[in-house]
Amino acid sequence: MTHGSGSHRTIAVEGLSRVEGEGSLRVDVRDGVVEDVALTIFEPPRFFEALLQGRAAAEAPDITARICGICPVAYQMSACAAVEDAVGVRVGHRVTALRRLLYCGEWIQSHALHIYLLHAPDFLGCADAVELAERDRAAVQRGLDLKKTGNLVMETVGGRAVHPVNVKVGGFYRAPDPADVAALAGPLERARDAALATVSWVAGFDFPDVEGEYRFVALRGDGRYPMESGRVTSSDGLDVTAGGFADRVVEEHVARSTALHARLDGRLEYLTGPLARYALNADQLPEVARRAAADAGLGPVCTNPFRSIVVRAVELVAACAEALRLVLAYEPPDPPAAPVGWRAGVGTGATEAPRGLLFHRYGLDDAGLITSARIVPPTSQNQLTIEADLRRVAQAGLALPDDQLTWRCEQAVRNHDPCISCAAHFLDVTVVHR
Amino acid sequence: MGSEYRRDDGAGVAVAEEVARTCPHVTRLGPIGEPLDLLGLWDGADLAVVADAVRSGAEPGTVQLIELSEAAGTGQGSVGPPGTTSTHGIGLTGVLRLARAVGSAPRRVVVVGIEGSEFGNGVGLSPAVERAVPHAVGHVRDLVDPAG
Repeated sequence: MTHGSGSHRTIAVEGLSRVEGEGSLRVDVRDGVVEDVALTIFEPPRFFEALLQGRAAAEAPDITARICGICPVAYQMSACAAVEDAVGVRVGHRVTALRRLLYCGEWIQSHALHIYLLHAPDFLGCADAVELAERDRAAVQRGLDLKKTGNLVMETVGGRAVHPVNVKVGGFYRAPDPADVAALAGPLERARDAALATVSWVAGFDFPDVEGEYRFVALRGDGRYPMESGRVTSSDGLDVTAGGFADRVVEEHVARSTALHARLDGRLEYLTGPLARYALNADQLPEVARRAAADAGLGPVCTNPFRSIVVRAVELVAACAEALRLVLAYEPPDPPAAPVGWRAGVGTGATEAPRGLLFHRYGLDDAGLITSARIVPPTSQNQLTIEADLRRVAQAGLALPDDQLTWRCEQAVRNHDPCISCAAHFLDVTVVHR
Repeated sequence: MGSEYRRDDGAGVAVAEEVARTCPHVTRLGPIGEPLDLLGLWDGADLAVVADAVRSGAEPGTVQLIELSEAAGTGQGSVGPPGTTSTHGIGLTGVLRLARAVGSAPRRVVVVGIEGSEFGNGVGLSPAVERAVPHAVGHVRDLVDPAG
């Protein structure tokens, strides 16, 4: 919806479509200058943090997995890392490899969903994925097949395609059968090829000529592209542990939103997610993904937010290739989980959710009960940067008619795949009597 | 479908749990928070029964059977907006339209909906919804196993 009078123009979208969860945006323009932008999001207030207090730390992975329907594994992985940090548990390399394989499954399904069903329609002039499917069924089918392979990995490792139930503090309840894991190789090879086709497809889209100025923050992998572990690094030299990072992030309430807005060192906005991971870790991509990035014309750093779809596609290749490597090297962890001795402590865990850095911090008492919980999702960290993008994109597009500018602003939000999740999922029903 | 951490939004989850517990040969797939997750799970099924909380203005606890007809799939029908703005990336009818567009939709989709009233953060169904769960479970069983 747009409205305005004289020199005052307002772009307002009450319900953002193709964004996980609920959100709205508003851009105020006065005398040809963007005066104010606001991305209003309805994130769960600190409900889950309060819910966790007094619960056993062993429950944290499963409870927090229910925060997000799209990235439950990210919540499980960050929760496990934080609790293990608190009680001093170190897991073996086989558990780490299996966690990474599970995480690849989530990246594949989440990235495929975002690229094909939520983001690509923006570039092809389609109202939504349904229209895209009617126009290019083969493309959408490729996306759905990729998502299905991601689900298959999650089902094999996590016990369920949708909400994995096999994850526990210290590792897994049960190590998947080697034959079941080996059976993933064929689908993953096909998925890798489909992901390569995805990169070629999206690289051919038309991108608005907009460059952002970003302070990137991402985990830095230890020889491999970051997912389940790493130090927190930034494009301006930050290099700290997850705990050190959590100490420096301050979240503030903003009246218009139930989500908290994060600032680093109290003042600097920053961006996590594919653009940040790529800028800080392109050298750690698997060879096949690095080649795909070069073929797509991506330099070592991408600052055009609209081209994040290309970076996401390159990460899709990386996740497929990495999953395939882990499948071929699979050795069942025995025992499937490291023993955990409960003791009082504070621990922090940070992992790379498909949308960006997700960190958890828990305080535990000596019985292993949670005394304090802090969960900082990627979207609250990215919010200020998304608003800065909106300001830039709206200013650059002021010559556009209202409907096109509105659409461009919506795209600017979707570029960062914000997860505004945990909204209620009931169906609104209107009965039409004929 | 739904979230047991959003009060009555957990109605569908409660129904699915009870069906899985009491019906033989049933595999529980959920809880499913995002309709998009149905893609791939329901492909080619003769019948998909989606248990979910609904908000239609009826008395809380009212159980409705909503057949997602061909018309519903094209945005002319009775359930939800046609796949645009929703609490999900794409709503249930949008996902059904998408599945139809790529030829993977179930032959028939029926929503067993329980009218909810409390959708705030928290656990536990409101009393009227709690009382309606066995009624909804009965409908699911009748749909899945009419001879039962």
